[in-house]
This record gives sequence, C-alpha cells and structure tokens, in this order.
Amino acid sequence: MSNQQSLCRSPIALGTAIVLAIGWGLPAVAAEGLPYVYTDWKHFTVKDGLPNDHVFAVRVDGPRVWIGTEDGLACLDKRTGRIRSWKEKDGLPWRVVSGLDVDPKTGDLWIALFGGGLARFSGGRFDHWHQLNSGLVNDVVYGVAVENNNVWAATTAGASRYNTVTGEWTIFTEKNAPMEEIWNYAVTYADGKIYLGVWGSGVLEFDVATERWKDYLDPDREMEIDLYRDDGIVHVITTGTSFVDGILWVSSYFGMSRYDGRHWRGFYAHETGLPSDFGNAVKGRSATEAWFATDKGVGVLTDFATDTWVTYTMEPKTHKGRAVVSRGTKVLKVVDMERCLPHNYALWVEFDGNDVWVGTSKGLGWASGPDYYPGLKVEPIAGEEGESKNAARLAAAEAMKQSGVSSEDRPQ
Amino acid sequence: MRYWVALLLAGILVTGSVGNEPTGKRRTKLDPATHWRPPIQADAQTLEVLRRINSVDAYEVPDLGLRKDENYAFTAEKVKPFGYVEPFKRHFLEQMEYTGPGRAKPEPDHVDTVKIGFIGPIMSTVSVATGGKSHEEPMGIKMLQGVRLAIEEANASGGYLRRKIPFQLVVSNDNGLWGASGNEIVKMAYKDKVWAILGTIDGANSHIAIRVALKAEIVMMNSGDTDPTFIETNIPWVFRCMGDDRQMGYLLVDYMYHRLGLKRVGIIRASNRYGRFGVREIRDGSRRLGRPVVLEMAYKVGAEDYSLQLERLNRAGVDAVVHWGDASDGAHILNQMRKMGMDQPFFACDRCLLEEFVEIAGPNAEGVVCTSPWNPARTDPKYVAFRGRFRKRFGEDPETYAAHGYDGMNMLIWAIQMAGLNRAKIRDVLAHRAEPWPGVTGDIPLSACLDDLGEVFLAKRENGRWNYYSREELELPPRYVPLRDRVKRGAPALSAR
Repeated sequence: MSNQQSLCRSPIALGTAIVLAIGWGLPAVAAEGLPYVYTDWKHFTVKDGLPNDHVFAVRVDGPRVWIGTEDGLACLDKRTGRIRSWKEKDGLPWRVVSGLDVDPKTGDLWIALFGGGLARFSGGRFDHWHQLNSGLVNDVVYGVAVENNNVWAATTAGASRYNTVTGEWTIFTEKNAPMEEIWNYAVTYADGKIYLGVWGSGVLEFDVATERWKDYLDPDREMEIDLYRDDGIVHVITTGTSFVDGILWVSSYFGMSRYDGRHWRGFYAHETGLPSDFGNAVKGRSATEAWFATDKGVGVLTDFATDTWVTYTMEPKTHKGRAVVSRGTKVLKVVDMERCLPHNYALWVEFDGNDVWVGTSKGLGWASGPDYYPGLKVEPIAGEEGESKNAARLAAAEAMKQSGVSSEDRPQ
Repeated sequence: MRYWVALLLAGILVTGSVGNEPTGKRRTKLDPATHWRPPIQADAQTLEVLRRINSVDAYEVPDLGLRKDENYAFTAEKVKPFGYVEPFKRHFLEQMEYTGPGRAKPEPDHVDTVKIGFIGPIMSTVSVATGGKSHEEPMGIKMLQGVRLAIEEANASGGYLRRKIPFQLVVSNDNGLWGASGNEIVKMAYKDKVWAILGTIDGANSHIAIRVALKAEIVMMNSGDTDPTFIETNIPWVFRCMGDDRQMGYLLVDYMYHRLGLKRVGIIRASNRYGRFGVREIRDGSRRLGRPVVLEMAYKVGAEDYSLQLERLNRAGVDAVVHWGDASDGAHILNQMRKMGMDQPFFACDRCLLEEFVEIAGPNAEGVVCTSPWNPARTDPKYVAFRGRFRKRFGEDPETYAAHGYDGMNMLIWAIQMAGLNRAKIRDVLAHRAEPWPGVTGDIPLSACLDDLGEVFLAKRENGRWNYYSREELELPPRYVPLRDRVKRGAPALSAR
C-alpha cells in the first residue's frame, strides 16, 4: 500500500498510471472498486437433517437458525451443526411453514403457517391460532413480524395484529386500511413502522405511533406496463418489503424497487445484475445493499450509488457456483466457485452478521463471509493478465481516486 | 430452423410409439427421456416438450422456447393505455417459465385414483364480494356439470391410461367467507394431493386461489372468471380457457362507437369486484377513443330498487346504458329502465345471457346486446356432439360455464395423460402446446401469459332468441393489426361507421 501511495504522489507516475489504465481498457468502474463476493458456501438439505428441501423462510436468532420448509420446521445450531426438526407428528400445527420471526424480548418463535394459521413455539410447546379460535383473519398466512408487544400476520384475506400482552386482535382489511386488495403477501417491521407487501395493492406503511397508513402504488395504475422509470413502485403485485437505514426495498414479480423517502428507483433484469424480474423476496442490508431472491438466482445490489451488482447462480449441470460482478449490465468480473446457491429458485434471504443464508426450493445455503466488507473496495483483479498488470491497474485506480479524478471525468 | 428440424426428427423417432405401459403398481424404472410413451396421440411439438422435460433433473431448466407476443391481449393501438408514450417496460409479452425442481419428482408408485380438484360456488354461503349472501351458485353448478361430464367421459375411455385407474374429482365449495377459498386450495394441494385444479368464478377468490397455487406449485385452470387482472399476475402456473372482460370490452367498445356511433354511454354496474373490474376496459377504451363514459353508477348486488342510479343516468343524457353484474340484477334494471320511460339501448355482460335474465326481463329483453366469450349457436360437429351428450346426462343444454368447464377439465386431463403424475410437467405440456386447444367452445389459443385469446362475440336478442355475431360479421376493424401489416396495408379506419 505504501508503494501505491508513493506512486500516486508523483505526478509523472500518476499520468503514466492513467495512460496505462486507459490503454488497457481498464473499466472506469474498477477505479471505484469491487464489491465483496461470497465464495464459501455450505448447503443443507434433507440429507443433512432438514425435514424438507423446499425452504420458504429462514430466521437467525443468535446461534440458532430457524428454517421453515414445505413440510416442517427445523433449527440448525451453528455451534454444533446439529439440526432438529418438527413435523405435524411432533406438534407443529401444520406442515407448511411460510414465515418466521423471533420476539426479541421473549425469544419466542412465531410461525406463519401456509394454510394452518399462526403458531408460537415457546418452551418446547406449540400454541396455535387460526380462523376459528382467534382474530386471525385467514389461515393462509404468508408472513409474520414481531412489533413490540404485537405480532402481525400477513394473510391472504387481510392482515391481523395480535397483542401478546392484552390478547387483543385487530384485523386490517379494505374496510379500515387503504388496501385496494386484501391479499397480503409479506410483513416486516422496522423503525416504528410496519410494511405490508400486498398483492395488488403495492406497499402499505403503518405508523405504529400514530396508527396511520400510507400507501405506495404504481402511479400509472396499469398492470401491463411500467410507464415511466422511477416514477414509483414498479408494480402493485408486491412480494416482499424490507426497510433499513431509511430505505424501503421492495420485491415484486415484475421487478424490484428502492425508495429513499423522496425518490424511487426501479430495477429490472434487462438493465441490472438481477437474474430475473420474478422476485420472491428481498432483504435490505443497508441503504445501499439489498439481496433479491428470484426464480433464477440471487441478485445483490452491493452498491446503489454505482449500480454495482453481484449475481449468484448455480450451474445446473455441474452444481458449481458462479458470481458475476457487474455495473449495470457491464460485467466486471466473474468468479467461479465450487459451490454457491443450492438451487437457482431462491425464496428467502437472511443476514447473519457477515454471513448470509439463502432459502431455495432445493435446500438451504449458508454463505460465510468473515472478511465481508460493505460497498466497494479496490482490490487486485485476478485473471489472465497476471499480477503485474493487476498491480498497475490497482495503482492507476488508486491514483485516480487520490487525485480526485472521478470515473465520469475520465475519457471513455 | 434447427429447432424445427429437431422437432421433425423427434416426431419421426417417436411416431407410432403411442401405447400404454404395463399395468401394475411396480413399474420398471426406465429413462423417462427416451422411454416415456404418452398413452394418447401426441403431436411432434408435445413429444419434443416431453423429451426435454423428461431429460432434466431437479436443477436444470428445460429449454422449451418461450412464447413471445408482439402485442398484449390484441389491444388495438387506439385503446392502449398511454398510447402516446412508449412505456419504459411492457409486461406479459414473454411467457413465464417455471424454474423450480418440481420436474424431478417421480411419479408416485401407489395411486388408486388420479385426483383433480374443482373449486366453484356450488353451495350458498357468504360472499366477500358482496358482504352478504353468495350469488354465483347458478354459474358454479353449471360449471361443475361440465367438469363432471369431462371426468366421466375420460373414465369411460379408460381413465388415466398409463395405470388404468380412474380420474377422481375432488369438489370444494368456493367459500368466499374471509377468503376461505385459500384454505380449500391448500387442502386440495397438500391433503387431497390433487394433480391440478379447476376453478373458480368470483374474481377475489380466483386471485386468492392462484396465490396459493403458485406457492404450492400446482396448475390452476380457470374457466369462469372473466376478470382481466386474473391472468395479469405473472404466475407460470395459471391458465384460463375463457375470453375475459378485456376482450369482450374491446369488442363492445368498437361496436358501440364504430358501428352504432354512440357518443354518451353510461355505465351501471355491481358494486363488487366483478362489476368494478369488468367495466374497466370499457371505461378506459371509451375515454381513449375520445368518448368518455358520461356517468358510472354502482349498485348493491341483489338490490331491488335501482331508481337512484337510473335517474342520474337519465339526467346525464346518456344515449346507451352498459350493465355489468348478475343476470337477475341486469333484468330488474332493464325492466325498471323501461318502466321509467328510458328507451336507450341496453348492453350487458355475458352473465346476462343466462336464462334467468330473459325469464325476468321478458319482452324487454328484445334488442339487448350482451358480450359472450363464445358462440353457443355454432353448428360444428364437435360442439353439437357435446351438446347432445350434455343433454343426455343433465337433461338441459350446456351454457357458458358448463361448456368452458368441460373444455378446461379436458385440457387438464389431456395434460395429465401426456405428462404423467407430475405437477410441473402437467404445467409444461399445457403451457407449451403448439396448437390452440380444440374446445367445444371453439379454438382456445393461449397467449404468452396463458390466457385465452380466442374470438369473443356479441349476442343480440332478436325475435326471442340470442343471435351471435363475430367481429367480422359486425364489420368491425380487427382487434389488433400487427405492425408489419399496418405498414403494408395501412391501419384500419377507426372512424364511426
């Protein structure tokens, strides 16, 4: 590093480096660095003790990783690698677990059951709420979120809120919320607000303090088009919401969206590193990083400002993995690895410190990233050109960075 | 070119291979890619689809060639939304594909019957749409009749031919109370373990059903919901075998403005999802053609007095009234209109083609024009034979819901016979059919989003009977003229005739 710094301080060296960089066709983007790429993946399937390979939901709680599958609930202890599972015969009220959340105060696990209502797993016991014994508005529950003393359930016929202290239920439908349709698909809680992803009704934001609703709809109000880019949420059929660092991330079956409270940004596969527009779920990691689980892999917007993506897929024939780093549609780097996603049909993403868990329709993936860094970092570019070229590129990039030459300023 | 050569070769290789596998519960494990023999006649395209879907494991996605439409739903240029702007993104033009692992699931060894689900309004209950008593049973019961006939006929022909076991219909009521239809689909998918599902009619329940079908990965065939948004969801598991209100709305709009030269059209509709979404293309199309709907009034389903809505429409000086709602409501509205001295032409949705409408409206029905997703006055042998069989079985003529239910169930049965007992493969063969389904309701060509783009009709009540007219017979411009043809021949005139 010291060598690079001294190189950059010399005007001649700086000029040489820039000329070299341009001469070699160094992408302007390299000067801004590259994102972290997860290359250490582990897979968990039925062979490892999962009750079923079709993983709908994952929730990390300290050393425990809760896993909701199409036929049972599982808990992986990261310390021991041991997996415990529960099926209907073990007391799980219904086989299909579609959502999970943990109450931070009690440690209780709340379970969304797809067609079976809502359950709480606490002290080794399952408690069960459904349409006929509670205020749960429907038994087809897609998602669950804990908000203070309340538990929210996104159901196919509205949202229900259960106060775990008073036992009171509140139902939200088109009658008392701005739901153009009542088909709730996802629910998350962050910073005093509940975010509902509603199929046909975009995203609904509920302010817990004021009990007021705000809706986010596609401004053109047409199903078959997105009229103008970035004019609002890309489509009203939303599948996931995630609010972090003041940013709302949204997934839909028609593309993805980001909202900073003032500006919307839409993301489509044809112009980004998204593997597909069919988004099953989204998880925001920060204001600039979000992971989108799609039907053709996982697309990660690693740096919003520079539109830098990492696309994770599995090569179906060899089962080897691949990560493609791109800026917009321009590929910057391809990283091949022994393994990556367990399957390209990704259904869920969960963060675990520097690690990431990905639920797919054929197993659970655990991406380990002890040296993960957010955003971008200038790093040597491995490849056929060899180390000397890489060093020169690195020097040039660093020189440009230090001299204040931005990528936009450089000749193209 | 290479694709078609491959198709041809595949066809030559497997021609004559139609036959059954040995019966019995234990079957010899063979490579399905090379040994799969559909027990019914298959065209070359379907055989090639079978070869490809049987060649992949849980991780691979077969290259089945995705259908691409140049235009969404044959929408004419003049009624396209925001027609003066090229949208940033157009949806539904490229076929969705299923990329999950489902194709690798083996056909189960022990199956006594092949279950297919049916969900429809067949018993009186509470409707989410109306917040009161359900109202769609007359349609749902007819749909079930058509479906039953299809199952019975398939079983009479040997059932599921590969195993020589019968098809079994698992019937669920379309219970709209608190969205309970979702629970019914979950039950059918996970407990009854049906291989595909047909239903339903109510738009809200249909949407709930397909959300479940997507997650449970099971084909959902719709034969009774004309809500255009039903198919506008990007779900690769959803099919519809019936023309929707978008198609019928386009035809009616063209007829009202191009043929009749109407200028001030008013709408009266049910205050439910069916009414709300049913008139959407009429309202939008009217506006886009420069003749915005003068007034749109909603009424509570099953209301007895519509004078408030009708007086306001009359006061607005409408020169025609379009009704979208149930047959009984439509007939009562028409009678009340005439009683009030309102003699404007009355247009209505296909539900008013039910017998109930004429029974209540009596002579007032004369001159009424309804949209229709098919032409039941056709005399082609296939339909005539079906009508005969239906009469023999149920003692009455098949109507819209029965005929479309019959077609939809036959499409499912065909796909199951072709693909075997695998939900993903059942989807594949249906989604990648090369030719339109030759139904008793007419040809059913599927669009990229797997919707029926077949011809729709207008039915006129003339001399005490319904006469059906196609777009061509009404001398209306084509639904959509591809760009290449417009360049050659110029766009058809859209001025009022």
